Amino acid sequence: MSVGHVGRAIEESGIPTATVMVRAFEHRARELKMPRALIVKHPMGRPLGAAGDTTRQHEVLRAVFELLESATGNGTVVEFPESYRPRPLNA
Amino acid sequence: MGDHEQNESFEAFRKSLSYGSRNDLNFKFFKGMSDEQVASFLQDLLHKLGDAYDTGDVLPLIEAAYEAQAEGYSPEPDAPPPRNSFEEGPFTPLEKAIANSTVGMLTTSGHFVAGDDPMPFGEASLTQEDAVNRINEFLREIPLLSEIPSDTPTSDLRVRHGGYDIRSAVRDPNVTFPIDRLREVQARGGVRRLASTFFSFPGATSQGRLRSELPGWVERIHEEEIDVMLLVPV
Repeated sequence: MSVGHVGRAIEESGIPTATVMVRAFEHRARELKMPRALIVKHPMGRPLGAAGDTTRQHEVLRAVFELLESATGNGTVVEFPESYRPRPLNA
Repeated sequence: MGDHEQNESFEAFRKSLSYGSRNDLNFKFFKGMSDEQVASFLQDLLHKLGDAYDTGDVLPLIEAAYEAQAEGYSPEPDAPPPRNSFEEGPFTPLEKAIANSTVGMLTTSGHFVAGDDPMPFGEASLTQEDAVNRINEFLREIPLLSEIPSDTPTSDLRVRHGGYDIRSAVRDPNVTFPIDRLREVQARGGVRRLASTFFSFPGATSQGRLRSELPGWVERIHEEEIDVMLLVPV
């Protein structure tokens, strides 16, 4: 999985990384020993949430920033607690 | 029956959703499941649709599809570790709070700025349909990293990636490239600064050629003087 190689290279170069991944890829986060992974219970292609769901998108960003601040070692995998929800664009 | 064999097998049907005659990137995982698993999933989905006729609530359908997708991508419990799995990994501790940090972003979503097409295979104006049809070529090709100024208007973003259903990202780029959301976080002081440039490439690419590109990419990323990097794969 491309992000694993990219993340390792950036982290090794001295920049902390955190990755937002849908649950379908959770096993890859563990196999690739990604430094910090936030697992979201969203369908593939919608890691931040549904189109137009700005609230959820902000919640995911907040969670990944919290993960960046709290992780103390490689391979920290945290699950975002909320389930996916669709959101009409005009809502 | 259209173009399909009159006595098409169920196996042929489920595999046709993975870059076949019925390609559907949301359900290409059918290819890796058994006939019985896909049949059970479809039966359950239709049953839930029967409920939705009355309730109007499609969430149970979405949840069933989500669960099947997560299961479809999970390895068998006794599967050997895949190539590119690691026992150890790097870890760089944070030096300062996120609110005092400069934040970068790199996604494998295949975004680029209108007028700055990375031109895979040297070809201009490749469509999403082209990218899907040529997925095997992409998987052998050198990855092209697009630079996206972090003040790019969302309406100027384009997306192309033969590996996932981009419809959601077309409706709202923030689902795979949360540029507006990061700008909003920065505007209210949640982060000190955003990188002047974000990055994206289609993750469906040659892994070996990607690794060869990485030293140059990392050097370019360091020019952004970021404190942390947000990564979004699709």
